[in-house]
Amino acid sequence: MDEKAILDHQFVVAAYTVTWVIQLGYLAWLAFKARAQKRASHNQQNPK
Amino acid sequence: MKKAAFGLYIVLTIALMIWGFYMAIYGAPLDAAQGEIFRIIFYHVPSFAAAFTFFSVSFLGSIAFLSFRRSHPDWAQRADAWALAGAEVGVVFCTVGLTTGPIWGRRAWGIWWTWDARLTTTLVLWLIYVSYLLLRRFAAGPQMQTLAAVLGIFGALDVPIVYMANRWWRTQHPAPVFGGAEGSGMDPSMLPAFFWNMGAWFAWGILILALRYIVERKQQRIDAAEAQDALNATN
Repeated sequence: MDEKAILDHQFVVAAYTVTWVIQLGYLAWLAFKARAQKRASHNQQNPK
Repeated sequence: MKKAAFGLYIVLTIALMIWGFYMAIYGAPLDAAQGEIFRIIFYHVPSFAAAFTFFSVSFLGSIAFLSFRRSHPDWAQRADAWALAGAEVGVVFCTVGLTTGPIWGRRAWGIWWTWDARLTTTLVLWLIYVSYLLLRRFAAGPQMQTLAAVLGIFGALDVPIVYMANRWWRTQHPAPVFGGAEGSGMDPSMLPAFFWNMGAWFAWGILILALRYIVERKQQRIDAAEAQDALNATN
């Protein structure tokens, strides 16, 4: 592979990686929020 | 039954994502002019198509909220949840488009960014919806949802401007691949990879949109219960 093809490949990998990091990061944040809500509604139903 | 259907949808979406990835990397041939870097199109364009669609969901949700907030408060709350979910998921997809674009541009044009009409209007769109999310996060009081709905409606007006920018003005960004001038279009050998990825990213987007809507509806119920508790405590 010539240098141009290697660089192209690296840029494609970077773009695909960034995409997945953003999408899965958002999904993880949603899961975190849902878990916090579960705890909040549990505390509401069972006040100390 | 509902849970099983949702589970099946998740499995199908994951399968579609894997297949889309395979088609993007191995299914589509190398572009004659750009080589491998052209493969970014299979993530870049569907991301913007999804972002525009979800901003439209936010737009419709905002209109519905303003229409029903007095006559049908429960419908208005549902509409508000859709508006928020649409804006947030739209921002996620728009962020993907705004980061994959400069990566592609650096190799194709030699620059990360230029202030042409397409890129600038897209950045403005992203900023409007980020401000929408910040408003929802930090503003309080009964007017917050109404203000957010108005901002959501005005923000969506930028979507057709972004879409038409490289038709109305001369831009560094290439002319439209689909629905552009005569001679535009994609080589037929690349179309399956393009449409599989379009389907995969929309399936993924609908999934996270639905999850965000569920989370927001639950938040509304928690907030309502907290408000009721506070009211009971003062009486």
